[in-house]
Amino acid sequence: MLLDFFSVVIEYAPRFIPGVIMTLQLSVLSILLGTVFGFFATMLKMSKIKPLTKATDIYITIVRGTPLLLQLFFIFYALPDLGINIGRFTSAVLGLAFHNGAYISEIFRGAIESIDYGQKEAARSLGMTSWQAMKRVILPQAFKRSVPALGNQFIIAVKDSSLASVITITEIIMLTRQYSAATFNAWPMYFIAGCYYLIITTSLSKALLMLEKRLKVNER
Amino acid sequence: MVTIKNLHKYYGDLEVLKGIDMEVLEGEVVCMIGSSGSGKSTLLRCINFLEKKNEGEIWIDGKQVFNKGKDINEIRQKVSMVFQRFNLFPHMTAVQNVMEGPLTVLDADKEETKKQALELLEKVGLADKADEYPAMLSGGQQQRVAIARTLAMSPKVVLFDEPTSALDPETVGEVLTVMKDLAKEGMTMIVVTHEMSFAKEVSDRVIFLNEGVIAEQGTPEEIFGNPKHERLKAFLGQLAF
Repeated sequence: MLLDFFSVVIEYAPRFIPGVIMTLQLSVLSILLGTVFGFFATMLKMSKIKPLTKATDIYITIVRGTPLLLQLFFIFYALPDLGINIGRFTSAVLGLAFHNGAYISEIFRGAIESIDYGQKEAARSLGMTSWQAMKRVILPQAFKRSVPALGNQFIIAVKDSSLASVITITEIIMLTRQYSAATFNAWPMYFIAGCYYLIITTSLSKALLMLEKRLKVNER
Repeated sequence: MVTIKNLHKYYGDLEVLKGIDMEVLEGEVVCMIGSSGSGKSTLLRCINFLEKKNEGEIWIDGKQVFNKGKDINEIRQKVSMVFQRFNLFPHMTAVQNVMEGPLTVLDADKEETKKQALELLEKVGLADKADEYPAMLSGGQQQRVAIARTLAMSPKVVLFDEPTSALDPETVGEVLTVMKDLAKEGMTMIVVTHEMSFAKEVSDRVIFLNEGVIAEQGTPEEIFGNPKHERLKAFLGQLAF
């Protein structure tokens, strides 16, 4: 029985590689793009221009208030009907990035607001414009402070990429289901999938921890 | 250099400044004293436009400054502020802190700015700490870097907002020494302070604020030697220095 299990695992583990690569692609792209979305959303939200802050609020409310599964289905079905054909992969990346962006923008905003008000005053009193103060003084500090929370969100993003399987992206979970159905032997497949996710997420959190340490060197 | 006419400042219904008129001449050192809540810090912050005045006029270097517009950034290059809590940029070394203003605001040459910054650190006695981050410096050292950072913009007026209140007693002296040197060089300074001995020794004029108005002003000899206003007498009595 146990021997059986291990022989299946050893046989099938390499066959997951294409799925792992797809999961990595989805994760990396949705994290990068999500960070860009998040950054712009934060800047719009902090612009104090009413329509822009309102639009950002609506964006965050929608993302936080509906399931990611629904958001992915919505993009997958709605965009082609609107005459926008961007393909499954792009839909998945956009959907995930859109989702991550909302959470990341809240992380950035929290970090920016946590910076002592005196920093902004000191920068402005040197004659800096509001944007110069943001760019030179506030953002570098806020970025450092947001790294732990960002790392958390990045790991969530890796795991959330599994939902892309519902819009027919062949990532780890999709492959797991296919191999389970083909062999009628489901649990070794889910075991393999779990191992791959663990490898990805632990490597990611190690890397982020290293980054965090490097950034901390000069500060309390 | 700085002229203020009928300045009013409200926080909601609370009137913090109730019509301030004052003038600070070039090269003059003016100390503002008064109990907390008297409006002295608010007045100082209005001169740097960190607080927006509600009524009145502020003239700096012969030019009236309004609440809005580009003027404020230009004025702030001429009127610099030293804060109670230093507010150094923690992600930059001491010398980078000093260079930041000229580099970002004036778009100055990097080599030249660095040379100037090192000279300023030398002047405040911290040449050996140029490459330290603020977290590694004591309060007094941080405040001296902050003064150097302010001077890097070659301001015409330096405002000090209780520059020694957040310091350990043993480091107060080193900051006051730097300020005295600056006063001797003829810098125009407006200092909000609780250091009465500093006010006595260094200032050309002392202003006593009470409940949002200038209750009394004069030379240090007049203010400390022969106070007239009842509140000032009580205030100085409490300090018993």
